[in-house]
Amino acid sequence: MSERIAAPIPQASIQPKSLHLKRRHLEEAVFVALMRLCMLSAAAALSMILAVILWRGIGALSIEMLLQPPRGSFYLGGGGGIANAITGSVLLASGATVASFCLATPLALYLHVYARRSRTAIWVRLTLDVLWGIPSIVYGAFGFTVMVFLGLRASLLAGMITLTLVVLPILGRTLDEVLSMAPRQLLETGFALGAMRLEIARLLLRQTLPGLFTALLLAFGRGIGDAASVLFTAGYTDNMPGGLLSPVASLPLAVFFQLSAPFPAVQERAYASALVLTIIILVISLAAHLSMHRLGRYVVR
Amino acid sequence: MYSLAVRQLNVWYGQQQALRNINVKFSERRISAIIGPSGCGKSTLLKSLNRLLELNENVRIEGQVLLDGEDIYAPDVDVVEVRSRIGLLAQKPFPLPMSIFDNVAYGLRLQGCSQREIAELVEAQLRAVGLWEEVKDRLKAPATRLSGGQQQRLCLARTLAVRPEILLCDESTASLDPLSARGVEELLASLRNHYTIIMVTHDIDQARRLADDVIFMWLGELIEQAPAAQFFSAPQAELTQAYLMRRIG
Repeated sequence: MSERIAAPIPQASIQPKSLHLKRRHLEEAVFVALMRLCMLSAAAALSMILAVILWRGIGALSIEMLLQPPRGSFYLGGGGGIANAITGSVLLASGATVASFCLATPLALYLHVYARRSRTAIWVRLTLDVLWGIPSIVYGAFGFTVMVFLGLRASLLAGMITLTLVVLPILGRTLDEVLSMAPRQLLETGFALGAMRLEIARLLLRQTLPGLFTALLLAFGRGIGDAASVLFTAGYTDNMPGGLLSPVASLPLAVFFQLSAPFPAVQERAYASALVLTIIILVISLAAHLSMHRLGRYVVR
Repeated sequence: MYSLAVRQLNVWYGQQQALRNINVKFSERRISAIIGPSGCGKSTLLKSLNRLLELNENVRIEGQVLLDGEDIYAPDVDVVEVRSRIGLLAQKPFPLPMSIFDNVAYGLRLQGCSQREIAELVEAQLRAVGLWEEVKDRLKAPATRLSGGQQQRLCLARTLAVRPEILLCDESTASLDPLSARGVEELLASLRNHYTIIMVTHDIDQARRLADDVIFMWLGELIEQAPAAQFFSAPQAELTQAYLMRRIG
């Protein structure tokens, strides 16, 4: 019996000496270095963006900038701030996030609990993917066409609705992914205990709550940064938001208008506005990550 | 007496036939063990008994499963009703994403029981599975904090709380450590005279310890069904003999 088992090759020491082994070590080192380089470039992009807007914008950032709407001479270097754009953007993004969440959650639940892998589900997912890929300026143009047809003017409401269309496929598809992470046994357990499909949907929501919340926050972050969809539909104004049917300003457009001004002082304000926008998105993203853990108390892993 | 009977059951996954002409009756208030090698269709048979099988994609089921003489696959049958009369203890303990108390209360809430009833039944079931003393001070804690063995006992309490007549166990001790497995096994033995228990196991010794009736399956067919004593001492079919001698499987 024992002759048939290959005897271990005697080794002089455990130091890596053979050429082959050396080559494998080298290969490993090279590829690890490459992967680190890729990670570094992603991190570098974020740090450089942050550095540039901090460097150019921090000087113009002031309490006045945050809390006051622009005065008459704002775009010539006069006083005032971007409070109109901050509130406008927050209102636009909140409205769009809430509206698309109300549409996307039932949609995603239906896909998972009822449609499952049916033909309907495949088509709905494809539709969402296509909608996701459409540039937001197209949504803006579409919204504008509808507004003209209905004889409406640019307003907070029109902006919210258009932005909802932009965010809906993103949120729908993200929620779809979040729900698909729920263990299959959850459905089986619920059904075995005599649950109806709607009650299974509630179980799914409970299980995926942290993911749902994260998706919601990320959708908000996506919505607040979009310029093209609100350009024609929400319009722009130097006034604070005055109601659903009047136009509102938004941060991305504030950046755009200030940056196109020929005065360096105003251009600095563009960077300050960009800084405000970036900080909002940064905070939202951080909150999204933290909430994953806070809400995950009962989640089955 | 039989409370559950299978008549001419055939199951296909896509083109592949998983069960062939199964005819079997499960004795009331006894433990029936379905044994056989992996892939022989024993889990498929078990899951066809409470209509969980149809959750799989691409599955085709023909034949009858009679619960007190009524076919659970008949078109006018309410599947929710069927599943609350036939409970399932899964292979891997799976707590629902909620507290210990809410886990046991889940099925009761679905049935619309009152708060008082729920509180009483939850305690009774947790006592019945020997978990009450261990968890009574932390009923609001997430069920996922329990150990594997405790989770499986919790799952049993949750299943029994719905008050099913029949209990299906799908290799319910397979994922547990030996000590916890023994605990769950003893629990099942103690339920013998109260429930019709149908268990799938790949562990012949477990079947020997627990079963009143044994059903042996092979490649989607039912080879032999006999009372345990007879099954193990004098198996009739050659395949059964070979399996018991561990020459096949």
